[in-house]
Amino acid sequence: MNTDATRETPPNGRTRALGLVFPPAGGRYTGMQLDFVGRVAEAAQAYDYDVLLITGSEIGDRPFQRILTGHRVDGLILMEIRLADTRAAHLIELGFPFVTIGQSGLEKTWWVDLDWVALGRGCVRHLADLGHRRIAFVNRSEELFRAGYESAHRGLEGFDQGVAELGLTGRGHFCGDDDAEGEACLERILLEDPATTAVVTLNEASLGGVYRGLNRAGRVVPRDFSVVGMTAGPWAETVSPPLTAAGEPVDEISQVAVELMLERLDSPGASPRHVMLRPLISIRSSTGPCPSGPDTEF
Amino acid sequence: MTYRGKAVLESPHDHEPVTGLNTATVSRQGIVTSWSDGAQRLLGHPATDVVGRVITELLAADPSDAAWAALAGAEAWSGTVAVRHRDGSRLDLGLRACPSLDSEGNATGFVLAFAPNPAGNGDGDDREMPERSFTQASVALATFDTELRYQGLNDIACEMAGTTAAQLRGRRYRDTVSDNVATRGFVRHLRQVIETGTPTSYDSQFGGRAWNIEMWPVKDPSGRVHGVGTASFDNSAQHWAQQRLALLNEAGTRIGTTLDVLRTAQELTELVVPRLADFVSVDLLDSVLQGEEPTAEPIDAGVVLRRVAHRSAVEGVPEAAVALGAVDTYPPYSPPARCLAVGRSFLSGLEDPDFVRWIEGDDVRNANVHHAGVHSGMAVPLRARGITLGVAVFWRRLRPEPFQPDDLVLAEELAGRAAVCVDNARRYTREYTAALTLQRSLLPRRLPGQAAVEAAFRYLPADTQAGAGGDWFDVIPLSGTRVALVVGDVAGHGVRASATMGSLRTAVRTLADVDLPPDELLTHLDDLVTHLTSDDDGTTASDAQDADGISATCLYAVYDPVSRRCTLASAGHPPPGVLYPDGTVTLVDLSPGPPLGVGGLPFEATELELPEGSLIALYTDGLIEARDHDIDAGLDRLCQALASPSPSLEVTCDTLIDALLTFPTVRPGEPPSRSPSDLRPRGSPSRFPRPTDDVALLVARIRALHTDQVATWGLPADPEIVADARLQASRQLKAWGLEEAGFITELVVSELVTNAIRYGAAPIQLRLIRDRTLICEVSDGNSAAPHLRRARTFDEGGRGLLLVSQLTQGWGTRQTTSGKTIWAEQLLPTGSAGGFR
Repeated sequence: MNTDATRETPPNGRTRALGLVFPPAGGRYTGMQLDFVGRVAEAAQAYDYDVLLITGSEIGDRPFQRILTGHRVDGLILMEIRLADTRAAHLIELGFPFVTIGQSGLEKTWWVDLDWVALGRGCVRHLADLGHRRIAFVNRSEELFRAGYESAHRGLEGFDQGVAELGLTGRGHFCGDDDAEGEACLERILLEDPATTAVVTLNEASLGGVYRGLNRAGRVVPRDFSVVGMTAGPWAETVSPPLTAAGEPVDEISQVAVELMLERLDSPGASPRHVMLRPLISIRSSTGPCPSGPDTEF
Repeated sequence: MTYRGKAVLESPHDHEPVTGLNTATVSRQGIVTSWSDGAQRLLGHPATDVVGRVITELLAADPSDAAWAALAGAEAWSGTVAVRHRDGSRLDLGLRACPSLDSEGNATGFVLAFAPNPAGNGDGDDREMPERSFTQASVALATFDTELRYQGLNDIACEMAGTTAAQLRGRRYRDTVSDNVATRGFVRHLRQVIETGTPTSYDSQFGGRAWNIEMWPVKDPSGRVHGVGTASFDNSAQHWAQQRLALLNEAGTRIGTTLDVLRTAQELTELVVPRLADFVSVDLLDSVLQGEEPTAEPIDAGVVLRRVAHRSAVEGVPEAAVALGAVDTYPPYSPPARCLAVGRSFLSGLEDPDFVRWIEGDDVRNANVHHAGVHSGMAVPLRARGITLGVAVFWRRLRPEPFQPDDLVLAEELAGRAAVCVDNARRYTREYTAALTLQRSLLPRRLPGQAAVEAAFRYLPADTQAGAGGDWFDVIPLSGTRVALVVGDVAGHGVRASATMGSLRTAVRTLADVDLPPDELLTHLDDLVTHLTSDDDGTTASDAQDADGISATCLYAVYDPVSRRCTLASAGHPPPGVLYPDGTVTLVDLSPGPPLGVGGLPFEATELELPEGSLIALYTDGLIEARDHDIDAGLDRLCQALASPSPSLEVTCDTLIDALLTFPTVRPGEPPSRSPSDLRPRGSPSRFPRPTDDVALLVARIRALHTDQVATWGLPADPEIVADARLQASRQLKAWGLEEAGFITELVVSELVTNAIRYGAAPIQLRLIRDRTLICEVSDGNSAAPHLRRARTFDEGGRGLLLVSQLTQGWGTRQTTSGKTIWAEQLLPTGSAGGFR
C-alpha cells in the first residue's frame, strides 16, 4: 500500500484517483447508471484508487475544467461515448490519459466496448432461429441518434446486417427513453406492419411501454409476439415475462475499464489497447417460436 | 330301568271278590277236599274232577324233600311247585301251605294257596322279594315323602351318600347334602313331581359323573301324592362320549376361523377349557414362529418352545408356568418333551414318576401345580403333514377324575385339527410375509436426493386376508434437475402382483432414465405389459389364465423446477390432487387413458404450471375407495383433507390416511387384548389399521429454481460463437463463485456447442444450472438425437463426447418437444453447495 495516497500533493505526481465522466442523461441518473458508477468505484478500489464522478458533459463545462487544471485525478474514464466524441478529441490534444467505455472512432484511444453490431446481429439471429420473419428494431431517440450515440448507431447497424443476411423483413424505429414513448413506438410498428411478430430493443427505458402496447394490441408474449433486448442488466428479471436479452456485463466492463486505465498510466508509451465484449443472449421468457398464424404464412 | 314291580301276592285288604282266591284244601292224607274257582282258573281243572283225588296226581314233578318234611310235620310251607295244567302243560306255581288245625291243635288238613308267578325257586318268604329287589337294585333308588324326607334308599344310594339307610331315614334331603347346583336341581325336581303328580326325568352331574335321574310320584289309591320315588342312572360313559362328539363337531367350526397362527392356538384353548381340561397350554417350536419351514426330523430333547396360548378354567390362569409369548424349555423326561421326541401323545399323572419329577424339578411349575392341585395331564403333539409344530398340554385339577384313554384320543383329534390350521396359518403367514418382503424390497425405502420437490410417502399393505398388493410409487431424479413422480397399481394380490409391480417399477425407472416424455413412457410401458402377458401364454393353461389378469394403472409426472411446469400422463390411474399456495385444491384434469396392457388407445400428456410451494398428491385407488367404495366420495374426502393446513408433508400424509382410511380398530366380538398382530412382519405400520386393498401415497411440495441459479443463452449456429459461449460460461461461473469448475465447464461447453453447431439445427441453446450439481446443457432443434439411451460406452460418441464423459460425473441426452438436449453434470466444488432458496 502506498502511503503517499493520503497526501495532499503527491510527490510522484499520482493522485490515486480516477475520474469517471458520466453526465446524467436528462439531468438524473437512472438506477442502472448509478449501478454502473458503483461497479467502477468497486473495480478501482481493488487497485487502491478512488473514483471522482464528473457530471459535465462537455469539455468546456466547469467541472470538467476543474479536473483538468487542478490535476485532481490521474486519468479519466469516459461514458456515453458518441461517434467522433469531442471530449475524447480534446483530451487527446491535451495528452491527458483516458479510457472510453464505448468507441469514439478516434485513433489512439483506449477503449472497452460491447460489440453492438454483433449483439444486433445475434438478436436478429435468435429471432430467426425461432422462425420469426418480420421483425422491428426499437432504438434510442432520434435526438440521441443524431448526437452520435455509438450504441444506437452500431446496434442498428448490426440489426440491419442480420436482417439482410437472413433475408428477413425489418426496420428500425426511434423511441424516447420512457414508457409512453415505448407504447407509442409499438403502436407505430404494428401500424406499419401488422404482421410483425418480434422486436429487438436497444431501449431498456421504454420496455415497460412496449409490453403495455403489446398487451393493448392483444398480443401475448411470448405466444404471439417475441421481444429480445440488446442489453439488459438485472432488471431483465423484473419485468413479466422476464426479458430474453444479451446480458450487459457491467462488472466486466467496469473491471476492464479500470484495468486499461491503470495499464495506460503505467506504460504511457504503449500502443492503445481495445477490448470488445460480446455477451450472449440470455434466454428468458419473452421469446418463443414464431406463431404460425395466417399472417405469417407467406 | 326303573323298578316298578308290584307286590307279587295280592294284599288281604284287596277289594277283589273272594272267589278270585286260588285256594284248595287237602286232608292230612293228601286228598283234595275242596277246590276254589281261582284254582280252577289257574289250573283248568273243575272241582268235580279234582276233589277226592290225591293232590300229588296234579304235580308235574316231585316236590322237594323240605316240602315233604313240612307236610309230614303238619307245618306251614311255602315254595314253588311244578303243577300240571289240565291241558297237560306244566306250571310253576308259588304254593303256600298252611295246616288247618282242629280244636286240639292237630292238623286235620292243609289250606293251599297258589300264586301264578313264583318269586324264586329257593326257600324263603316271597314277601321279602320286592324289598330285597329294592335294596339290591343296580341303580340308586330312594323314596322321599312330600316334606322331602328320606323314606327309603337302597344300597347304591347309601354308597353314594356315604352313609347307611338307617342314618338317613326320616332326615330331610337338604340337611344331608351340601348346597350346590346338583342338589338344588334335585330338590327342584322333587318338588315339581310333588306339585304336578307326574313323573319326570332329567340329567345332572355331580361327584364327577353324569346322571340321568327319573322321578315319579307315589300315590295312595285316592290319587294323593304321598311321596316321590327316585332312580339315578350313571350314564357317565355315554355322556362323555356325547361330549367328545360335540367337542369334535365344534372343533370343525371353531378352530381355524382365521389364517393366523396365534388365533388358531387360542381357538383350541377356548374350545377345550373347561369342557375337556381345566388348563391347557399350546407351545410352538420357536422356529415355526420365525417362519422357518419345520423339518420332519425328530425333535431333540430340551427343545425350546414358545408359549402361544393358554387358558384356565380359573381366572388369572394360575397354572401357567410360562407367560404368553415367553420361551420355555421342557426337560427331556417331561411328558411334553417325550411326546415331541417320539411324536406321540402321552397320558400322565401323579402316579407317573416322570410327571412328578418334572413338576418337582421346576420351582415355578412345582408351586403352581401343587397350588393348583393338578393331578392328571396329557401331552399331545401338534402334527401336520408329518411334521411336529409344537405341543399342547392338557391338565385337570378341578375335575377329580383323571383323563381317560378316550380323552387322549379326543385330545389327539383336536390337536391334529388345530395343527393343520396352525400349519396353514403358518404357511400363509410365510407367503404373506414373503410377498410383503418382496413388495417392500421393491419399493423405495427412502426417496432419492433431489431438490425439485420435497416429498413424503406412505405405503400401507392390505390386511392379511387379502395379501400383499401391487401398488408402487417412485421419485426419480431426471437430468436438468427435473424429477419424475410415479405411482402405479398392479391389480391383484400376493407374490405375483408384487413381482409384476417390481417389473413395472424397474421398467419405469429404465424408461425414465432414457428421459422419455410421460406419454411416450406410458406407451412403452403398455407394450411391456402386453409382452408380459403374451409371454405367459406359452405356459400352462392356469398360468395363462393368471396372465390374462395382468392389469395395471400408472401415473407418470415430470416436474421441471426451472420452468415450474409439470407434465403428466395417466394409464387408467386416478388423477392427482393439487393444493395451490392460495389454498385451493383441484384434481388435475387429465385424460385418464386406458389401463396398461389394453393397448390401442393413445396416452395423452397434460401440462400444467405449478407455482412454487404447490402440493401434489399422487395415490392409488386403495386410498379413495377404502371406506365405502364410492370413488367420488373418496375424491371429495381427499380434496378436503388436502386443503386442511399442515405443518409438514409427513403430517399431510397422516392426515390423508386418517381421513380416508378410518376403520374401527377392533372387530365387534373380538377382544381387543392380545391381537395376533404380534406375528405381523416387523416394520409394518402399527398406527393405522390395515386397509382391504393396499395403499400407496406420494405427496410432493413443488420447489422452484431461482432465476439466478439458471442461465440460458441462445447461440447462433456460427462456429465463431463457441469462444463467446465459453467466455460467457466462465463469466457465469465467476458470478456463482464456481471458478474452480471453469476449466472443465469451458471444455464441455466447447465440445457440446461445437457438436450442436456442426450436427444439430437451430435454435441452439446453452444452459447452466447451479443446483446440487453444476449442469451444463446444450439443446438444439434437431430431434434426431445421436443416442436415445444414455451412453456409457464411448466409442459412439466421438472424441468430444469422450472428453465430456471422462471429465464429468455423467452425461446424457433427452428428447424435447423441439429437438434434443445433451447434458453433462459435474459435482460442485466442495464448500459451494447450491440448492434452492
